[in-house]
Amino acid sequence: MKTTKPLIISLVVILVLLFLSLLVIGRFEISVSDITAMINALFSGKAVTGELVSKQLVFCWIRLPRCLMAILVGMGLSVSGAVYQALFRNPLVSPDILGVAAGCTFGAALGLVLPGDNFSLIYILSLIFGLLAVAMTVGIARLISVKPVIVLVLAGMVILSFFNALLMVLKYFSDPYDELPSIVFWIMGSLSRVTWNDILIIGPVVGVGLIFFLLLRFRLNILSLGDVQSKSLGINPSSFRLILIVTSSFIVALTVATCGQICWIGLIIPHMARTLVGPDHKRMLPVTALLGAIFLLAADGAARSISAAEIPVGIITALTGAPVFAFLLYKNRGSGWV
Amino acid sequence: MGVILKCRTLGFKYGKTQILENVSFEIESGLFYAILGKNGSGKTTLLHCLNGILQPDRGSIEIEKQNIATMSRKQVARQVSLVPQEHLEVFPFTVLDVVVMGRAPFLKMTQVPSNNDYRLALEALKTLASENLAQANFNRISGGERQIALLASALVQTTKIMLLDEPTNHLDFNNQYRLLSKIKELCRTRGTSVIATMHDPNMAILYADRVIMVKDGRIVVKGRTEKVMTTTNINTLYETQTVAISTIGNKNFFLPESAVAASNMME
Repeated sequence: MKTTKPLIISLVVILVLLFLSLLVIGRFEISVSDITAMINALFSGKAVTGELVSKQLVFCWIRLPRCLMAILVGMGLSVSGAVYQALFRNPLVSPDILGVAAGCTFGAALGLVLPGDNFSLIYILSLIFGLLAVAMTVGIARLISVKPVIVLVLAGMVILSFFNALLMVLKYFSDPYDELPSIVFWIMGSLSRVTWNDILIIGPVVGVGLIFFLLLRFRLNILSLGDVQSKSLGINPSSFRLILIVTSSFIVALTVATCGQICWIGLIIPHMARTLVGPDHKRMLPVTALLGAIFLLAADGAARSISAAEIPVGIITALTGAPVFAFLLYKNRGSGWV
Repeated sequence: MGVILKCRTLGFKYGKTQILENVSFEIESGLFYAILGKNGSGKTTLLHCLNGILQPDRGSIEIEKQNIATMSRKQVARQVSLVPQEHLEVFPFTVLDVVVMGRAPFLKMTQVPSNNDYRLALEALKTLASENLAQANFNRISGGERQIALLASALVQTTKIMLLDEPTNHLDFNNQYRLLSKIKELCRTRGTSVIATMHDPNMAILYADRVIMVKDGRIVVKGRTEKVMTTTNINTLYETQTVAISTIGNKNFFLPESAVAASNMME
């Protein structure tokens, strides 16, 4: 059997190096010596002085949480994507198939349009509508209850278009000079608003979710064989599906509520991992998580340093994701799924 | 030898269509059962009811005196395995990966197969003389090879009852007989009961100890192969005219009259 240890170790090394280098890269210049000065000050108990004060502010409250968030969101979205692809036996499924992201986006837009400038309202509405969308999808699928997988996907399409339509209504009636641009910018996805509070919420959720998925790695293999096979191998596919959908939808809803829609990660990263180490989730899930973290960290680094004005990271992931996906399709031709 | 499975007055509806009606039979351990019937007669539905994939509307199925409606999926999977007709993976698993999944009923929720499980999987492939397939991509092998791999997966499930849905469907001339002989050997050596749906009555005559004939969701005839495989019964089952064409030992083999006529026309 192939061992994935060397690959995983090298991915971890790349991730750490990228993380450290992105801490010093950015429009606001913070050098390595500044960081060591800050750490020295921290341990010696002395207060920082002069220029270092603003540098410390940027470093501790903006750049560090932002880089950590890129890692968390990258891992969360890509692993949720891998789980969805196994559950729906479809390599073209991404985490927003059940309408999570559409619901979240509508919720956030509603929060932006509603009077008052309360950021936590936007967050809460986004989360509520995202989870509501999934609940509606699952509910409709339950009502129909034949061919569970296909019905879930179709119900997801219904809910997705419904929330997209609601979003259009909001856009149409919103103020074109103030509200509309903020809705559009929000939809494009960005890590620029990240705070330590977000990390404290998303960190544990992504962490617990990843451990949960990793523990069920062999069950995911079996679920990807389909309902008849899963049942005859002693697994109840519908209850597993529900638990896994709830967990991953929660992860996706939280990330969309904080960072907006960051496309493509949930679709292409699992494919990359599968191309590298094969479809067995035991090997593929850890690689997916690491690749997702590296990809989003790099994309966010580019988003904030390519031009003078920050580019939404969603644009970067879409621009790089599309050609990468085309390449993966070409590379995997004839392996059975295309 | 004893009764291992009892199927009592089974009924199954799909929507409003009655697929199975009043189906009752008993399965003894160590015997090979063939289910014969026309296309759409309810053979596959019956198999899927027997391991609880489908829930019957009426009647009950008991395995070793326990009603499967009261058993967990895992408990059923330790007693009954299923080899489906045709199966295409979405993801490019290796054959060994697919075979080792047969160990699932013996693993805890969060466990992954151990080296021993992989060893058992490889052994099962060896039993079927197909260990060369182990590292092949399951999606790129032929339909027949896939059937062999799925049979190996059912073997590592080590169940007392094996359900086969048209096991020789995709196999070549030689492999059909090789595989069925192997399965028959398992019945005798391991005491496994095999229930296989089949299309070719002559295959049933060669390998089955008992035959169950299903027509429009009902059992028309069941019993010892040599007793029930008569021209009259086969004619009723397939609504055609057949003739006994030749005899090997004390076994008669059959062909439809139309085929015999066509063959005579050639001369």
